[in-house]
Amino acid sequence: MTNFLSALFSGVSSGAIYSLVALGLVIVWRGAGIVNFAQMGQAMFSTYIASTLIINGYSYWVGFIVAILAGAAVGALLDLLVMRPLSNKKRTELLSSESMRAAIPVIASLGILGVLQAMAGIIWAAEERGFPAPVAREGLTLGGTVMPFTLYDFFVIGVVLITLTITTLFFKKTGMGLAMRATALNQEVAKLSGIRTNHARTLSWAISGAASSLAGLLIAPSSTLSPTSLDLVLIIGFTAAVVGGLNSPVGAVVGGLIVGLVMSFVNFYMTPEDVYISILVLLLIVLIVKPRGIFSGKDSRRV
Amino acid sequence: MLKVENLVTRFGHVVALDSVSISVAESKITTVIGANGAGKSTLLRTISGLEKPASGSITWEGESIVGLRAEEIVRRGIAHVPEGHAVISELSVEENIEMGALFRRRKYKSDVSAAIDEAYQLFPRLLERRTQLAGTLSGGERQMLAISRALVSRPKLLLLDEPSLGLAPLVVEQIIDTINTLCRSTGLTVLLVEQNANTALGVADHGVLLALGKVVADRPAAELKADAALRAAYLGY
Repeated sequence: MTNFLSALFSGVSSGAIYSLVALGLVIVWRGAGIVNFAQMGQAMFSTYIASTLIINGYSYWVGFIVAILAGAAVGALLDLLVMRPLSNKKRTELLSSESMRAAIPVIASLGILGVLQAMAGIIWAAEERGFPAPVAREGLTLGGTVMPFTLYDFFVIGVVLITLTITTLFFKKTGMGLAMRATALNQEVAKLSGIRTNHARTLSWAISGAASSLAGLLIAPSSTLSPTSLDLVLIIGFTAAVVGGLNSPVGAVVGGLIVGLVMSFVNFYMTPEDVYISILVLLLIVLIVKPRGIFSGKDSRRV
Repeated sequence: MLKVENLVTRFGHVVALDSVSISVAESKITTVIGANGAGKSTLLRTISGLEKPASGSITWEGESIVGLRAEEIVRRGIAHVPEGHAVISELSVEENIEMGALFRRRKYKSDVSAAIDEAYQLFPRLLERRTQLAGTLSGGERQMLAISRALVSRPKLLLLDEPSLGLAPLVVEQIIDTINTLCRSTGLTVLLVEQNANTALGVADHGVLLALGKVVADRPAAELKADAALRAAYLGY
């Protein structure tokens, strides 16, 4: 029973983090049509910024907030400096194949990942370092017995819930959110409605950057921080996004939780070595049974 | 009000518009008719900034708008309802309408809600289906929605591309009537593209006949409608 509850709690709390990673991927996929492989490189960079501030005597929260803002800024800059020029029609006119054109930004994102990792190595040295948690990571004790969950689990789940609520409200209730959804769904109609789609796209990169930086901050205390330490998280987050349906923010959250739970239960009931195999098996099953993901929605339209 | 001169638009080696010149008079309905592939849609898409012309000029209220992005051209008062009931299926009716007024929501808050109310008065069926997804609407309702989206941007010029496409005659009549009333009562200028020449010429003040990217006739609508030889040669009836 204790094992079950432990698996459940750690699954939900790590799953919440994967939800954020998946959400970041989904936002850029919908907003810009790009699978951003640099995303966790951006998150790693932000987490290093937080780490540096904390090491130099600033509080956890200063590091936390600066890192998220830096994540948003880096995301926006990547769009402005790399992705927007790349999508400029004239420059890619030479490449006639549509699939080549779609591949270019994805390859560019891999390049950005490499650059970010190299830069982090140069600035912060490529050695592993620890990262603090704002609250205890030991099992809570209630009346003398150790509970199967930690205060940090609650912190993570709480922060992710707040973030998801804010994000949902932003997309559903604000004009800017509507402009971003319209841009993601149909660029031509959005433009004809007077929406500055370029701005909407940059904003989606910024939001995605902030969300993944938050994921980086939340996951760092459970492992160590190094320029490549979040590479695996990207793969897990990507699996979560595909499981949920790459087009669906709700799917990203659910996919994250499913992946987190599967990994956690495999870890507790089988062996830790099987964890990564298990999510690849999950990915295979989803791709075979429901290739568009659980929450893909209907692609069919009325004619 | 709108002056298009020697406009050339190409798609690769295909010349879609071959030195087209037209002018659109204020508070009038001008219609562009012609067979499939004559360049009617391309003309509207070039005016609204969706396509870049190879040469020629487009002058709107005395200023050139060639090279401006589509989203900036809407902001100057030219709203384009493209072919095929252009709405966003995954958004609700309400959101589709709201979308057209987003860029005005800060400066003209009260006028935006007035404009949205007017759109619902114009097409009460949209009010009934306010919270439904646009994808669940019928073809006619989607066309009404696309027109409403354009109208809430408070355009001075409305570019309408084949509003009758794929709709039942009764619905077409209703939509054309609404546009006509709107033009006559509020002074809205309309540039209407239609394959259905009879309907379009029946309501328009002025008609332009396009064939293979060239203007072959530019006359008052009634005159154009009466010219049997022209009709037989270019429209096939």
